[in-house]
Amino acid sequence: MAGIFRALGNLLRGSRPEPPSPARLEALRAEYRGRCESFRRLLAANNAALDVMASMEEALRGQKPFGMTFVRGQCARAAANVFQIVRQLSILANGRYDALFERLKEIQAAIAPHVEPHSGGVAGPLVLPLAEAGVDLADEVGGKMASLGEIVRRLGRRIPPGFAVTASGYRRFMEASDLQAEIDRRIQTADASRLDELFALSSALQGLILAAPLPGDLKRAILEAYRSLEVQAGEGVRVALRSSAVGEDALGASFAGQYQSELNVPGDEILETYKEIVASKYGLTAMTYRLTRGIPDEDVAMCVGCMAMVGAEAGGVAYSRDPLDIRGGAVVVNAVHGLPKAVVDGSFDPDVFMVERGEPMRLARAEVARKPTKYVCDPAQGIALVDVPPEEAGAPSLTEAQVLGVAALAADMEEFYGLPQDIEFALAPDGGIVLLQSRPLHESGRREEAAPSDSGLPVLLSGGTTAAPGVGCGAAFAVRKDADALRFPDGAVLVAAQAHPRWAPLLSRTAAVVCEAGSAAGHLANVAREYGVPALLGVAGALEALDGAGEVTVDADNRRVHPGRAEELLALRPAPRNLMEGSPVHAALAGACAHVVPLNLIDPDAPEFTPENCRTLHDITRFCHEKSVREMFLEGEQAGLEGFSKQLTCGKSKLKYWVIDLEDGFDGPVEGRFVDITRIASGPMRALWRGMTAVPWAGPPAADARGFLAVVAGAASNPELEPTVASAFAVKNYFMISRDFCNLQSRFGFHFCTVEAQAGDDPQENYVSFQFKGGAADLPRRRSRALLVAGLLEERDFRVEVREDALFARLEGLDKAATLDRVAVLGYVVIHTRQLDMAMGNEAVIGPLREKMEKDIAGLSG
Amino acid sequence: MHILLVDDETEFLELMTKRLDRRNFQVTTASTGEAALEALARIPVDVVVLDVRMPGMGGIETLRRLKAMAPDIEVILLTGHANMEVAVEGMELGAFDYLLKPVAINDLIFKIQDAAKKSGKLT
Repeated sequence: MAGIFRALGNLLRGSRPEPPSPARLEALRAEYRGRCESFRRLLAANNAALDVMASMEEALRGQKPFGMTFVRGQCARAAANVFQIVRQLSILANGRYDALFERLKEIQAAIAPHVEPHSGGVAGPLVLPLAEAGVDLADEVGGKMASLGEIVRRLGRRIPPGFAVTASGYRRFMEASDLQAEIDRRIQTADASRLDELFALSSALQGLILAAPLPGDLKRAILEAYRSLEVQAGEGVRVALRSSAVGEDALGASFAGQYQSELNVPGDEILETYKEIVASKYGLTAMTYRLTRGIPDEDVAMCVGCMAMVGAEAGGVAYSRDPLDIRGGAVVVNAVHGLPKAVVDGSFDPDVFMVERGEPMRLARAEVARKPTKYVCDPAQGIALVDVPPEEAGAPSLTEAQVLGVAALAADMEEFYGLPQDIEFALAPDGGIVLLQSRPLHESGRREEAAPSDSGLPVLLSGGTTAAPGVGCGAAFAVRKDADALRFPDGAVLVAAQAHPRWAPLLSRTAAVVCEAGSAAGHLANVAREYGVPALLGVAGALEALDGAGEVTVDADNRRVHPGRAEELLALRPAPRNLMEGSPVHAALAGACAHVVPLNLIDPDAPEFTPENCRTLHDITRFCHEKSVREMFLEGEQAGLEGFSKQLTCGKSKLKYWVIDLEDGFDGPVEGRFVDITRIASGPMRALWRGMTAVPWAGPPAADARGFLAVVAGAASNPELEPTVASAFAVKNYFMISRDFCNLQSRFGFHFCTVEAQAGDDPQENYVSFQFKGGAADLPRRRSRALLVAGLLEERDFRVEVREDALFARLEGLDKAATLDRVAVLGYVVIHTRQLDMAMGNEAVIGPLREKMEKDIAGLSG
Repeated sequence: MHILLVDDETEFLELMTKRLDRRNFQVTTASTGEAALEALARIPVDVVVLDVRMPGMGGIETLRRLKAMAPDIEVILLTGHANMEVAVEGMELGAFDYLLKPVAINDLIFKIQDAAKKSGKLT
């Protein structure tokens, strides 16, 4: 190849005596164009790979939820693009760096264990009696059923008799008809960041599961287990089917209410109901929850507990410690008449009993609520909400002795597990207390740091119960139906009549919660505490007072809602937490990232700069970029490529730009090593140049002292900015052009950018793409600059993404004139944003700057 | 330009055909690898867009045979099942690129045009 170029170079310099044949000249040109194409493809793959790495890094640090499909997808994208980069370099360098293919393979092998699905297989029995379950079998029966089984085995406490359909049973079902693969595919192809798509996905997945047939052996096992239960609990016994997902307690995460439970199910409907409960794994609430907490989909095997129904006189939830005061000695019992369901789903206010520990325990306080309705077993099937007579509505749901009995049970559970517990119980018709579940209590433990009690601010609304502490601010938004949830704006204050679990998917993007009903024992309160979203429940008149009230500040600690933004209260709130941190999905991403993102190859002139020393995909990317540039521009020039690469001049001045003509970018043959700007026929290059030169650059903006320090600190910590890194390419700026095409690679000061545009007569082929990264200041300033540029470009039809300090912008399909206009805007942006990052710390500077840039840009098209 | 779309999901084929048709591409569809090979033998195809996971002959095997039949044909892999090993294997077998669903239609068209450019079908 070098020989060809030498020949071509000689020939163009005219040092060869014989003129070449037109055919030979054309062959050389075609070969050269091929190299340019390879280089362009390498750059495109390079940009795509960096884009993937940036998004992986962002996911690792940020607050946006992601699942295993994201991690796998990004790894596959990264590997495919890096392969493309290596392939194109191989073409450019005649296979000189093909050792990189091997390196890529090795790195891929290192990534693989982090992203491979854990295939559990079907190993155990499909069904297991509860009495045989225990914590040693948690992987087979799920945490909930395992702990119930343990209680029977070790404590002899009363639980309903029953059996569990195991994780093996679940996997048997999922493997039949390749159900799991189809579910995975649908999850990947949907855009899970959009709530409406998530809705559609959720219902499609549930539909798939309901439509799938149960394999025969699983069917038989379930029906046989039910017949054994009938022998124990009576013929035709109704059952409660409860989800018991494997790993649901692994993170101390509160899964309560995520999955469906069905009460009072007759024997002949167990099979269908089992499928419904498995399908509820893909309910919207549960999917969002797993996503925000980083729980891999395949890690959740849905075991289902099937227990004889307790026709409860009363029931509820008890905490062995007050969740808002976990170090205190109180046991909290929440109870209602009838089935405990109302307490769990927050349908109405329960009685709240505070019991002091001691010998004996003592009922310290009883808040008896009015409970005008209750849930009971329906004679036909399922359960029914029925009215209760007025004298019963105001009566306590439990006697003092029963409260103390429940409290003692909760305390026993805490002692047994060595951790505060959250138990669900029912009062059987014979007066006995039946334990329905016990799990670790999710504490909130922030009461001591509460905001000052009297702020003296105007108050919109006050009262209620603090279900999750803290202060939050946002626009009040009332949700009454599911469609309201779809319109729920990010960062708003959720206002609802009931603290219903169906609002839980919104909590990851909610500033605060205010509900008219509900208690701290409900599911929504649990999830709010987990997410650190302040929640105030049981506030009468909340809907009327807050709907349309605009921005409000919810002070859950002091049970008040203030109009507007109360900065003095918000200043006290803790930093938002990274919900993904410590989750299995986060760990998988971190594990994969370690082989993708770090950059170890820093100095291209060092002897270590070899394919063998590429330890990550980023190393390979960096290596290839450097080498491809050398192949194209340095080795090429030595080989006589200067015949193609010409320095740009403007009259008498030589500019720091070089131009490579791909075929018809000049207005005719250009002799020598220089090309004047007037000879450029490339539309996009002319437009770009117009933008670059329309307004003179005033030099670097004045940086305040902090901005300057930020630059120094940024420069010291950023290996890309080491002076030794500067390759020859770094100080040259290259245009590759043809009549309708232009690609500009440039490095201005500390920032690197690429502009590429196609602007011809066919709008469908036209596009503009722009990438911009780097800077010398600290990350917040660089990011702030990227956001400023993003704002400018979005107003001009670009699709823009900002990841950390990198900006990617693209637009397609506009006609020639409109495309060229956008290219000119980029020309302006390229020149006028250099070193802007230094000034970005200061709001007083950003505003006027933005205005000036808007004005300049408006002048461009005129 | 003539595109062969291979995917076992008929909904996807219909949607893509409609969209590509609107952009003046000629589209032939196949819902299995076998059908894709037959189509390639019959029709002058410029670029193939191939799903990876299909019942019967999988995408990777289809790619292998397509390349054996017509080494110069450019094949873009487009899949709903992200898998790093398959991505690299496909690239090794000479796939032009590997894309994941969902893909923006403009990005796909851009990729198709670039593939056609490489195979000399578009200048």
